[in-house]
Amino acid sequence: MGTTVSLTQLKGRRVVATDDAKQIGQVEHLVLSRDARSVEAIHVAGKKQHADIVGWADVSSIGNDAMMVTSATSARQPESDADAEFVTGDVVIIGARVLDTEGDEIAMVTDLQFDADSGVIVGVTTTTGTIDANRIRSLGTFALVVDPAS
Amino acid sequence: MSRASLVLASELSGRPVVSIDSGNDIAEIRDTVYDSHGNHLIGFTLNKRGWFRGRCKQTLPIESIAAIGRDAVIVEREQDLIDLVDAPATLTASRGSIPIIGIEVMTQAGEQLGTIDDLVVETGDEPRAVGFRLSSSGGPVFVPISAQMALSGERLLLPAEADAFVRHDLAGFGASVGDYRSSLDHATERDDLTWAPPSR
Repeated sequence: MGTTVSLTQLKGRRVVATDDAKQIGQVEHLVLSRDARSVEAIHVAGKKQHADIVGWADVSSIGNDAMMVTSATSARQPESDADAEFVTGDVVIIGARVLDTEGDEIAMVTDLQFDADSGVIVGVTTTTGTIDANRIRSLGTFALVVDPAS
Repeated sequence: MSRASLVLASELSGRPVVSIDSGNDIAEIRDTVYDSHGNHLIGFTLNKRGWFRGRCKQTLPIESIAAIGRDAVIVEREQDLIDLVDAPATLTASRGSIPIIGIEVMTQAGEQLGTIDDLVVETGDEPRAVGFRLSSSGGPVFVPISAQMALSGERLLLPAEADAFVRHDLAGFGASVGDYRSSLDHATERDDLTWAPPSR
């Protein structure tokens, strides 16, 4: 496991292609896997008009000043409904309500940490404390669904 | 462990139905369906979420509910909603079912307690119907549901032992429901004793 990156720190960071050394935009948002346990892609806002998403496989490193991606052509349009929900803002991470599997709203998401090498989610920071990643069940249009605290 | 509490069925209307596998709000509660013959909660009819509200083509049987919480009704998977065409007839039939709202409630002693205006549902991971709220000239009255009730299209007749568990507020009723169940359990135990083989 490498270093841990938090979403609030990453947001706005430049996204630079290693093949032509050009900036393709900046980090706007993350696209998470369906079970919300790992980062699937980066939503890049900025210069290329019709390319919004860079898949996690194309991210070569996350530096303090820029996120490096393998190629200027790695940015693509959202491919799935899930991609699209993140890009359109139907699914948010920061500001998402946290709902436990008993149906009670317990907090609001304020930040999310993930491993810079693997993209695996390490934890979620909320208005009422930190939630360990192994409690996460899903993230959707209504909430981040988590198992109740044991 | 569930955090069961009592709510009125009318308060459940509009509560989102959220699936654990997606985190999406896939519908919202429209109406509560109660089986007056079996004296239990069968499930819920649904409305769509979002801008295009209106009746949902799917329905939510009680068996599919993982939990009813303060903020959402939880199902495990989005597929746990059942299409109206596949749902048990009891969940969809509008003909033949008795609307219980407005029915008169009487004690076995012939005293009128009021008319049903809402259903009391115990939430948590095993939701069930536990009582009725009645409107009466003296304000709201809560009466427990029991298998011994007699219901016609016109009135509900409470068993004599239910009298002691009638309450005027939902909080008091919560405690009373537990007492009522244990009193019925004790009655069952006594019945069992009478059937025990004589000792030699």
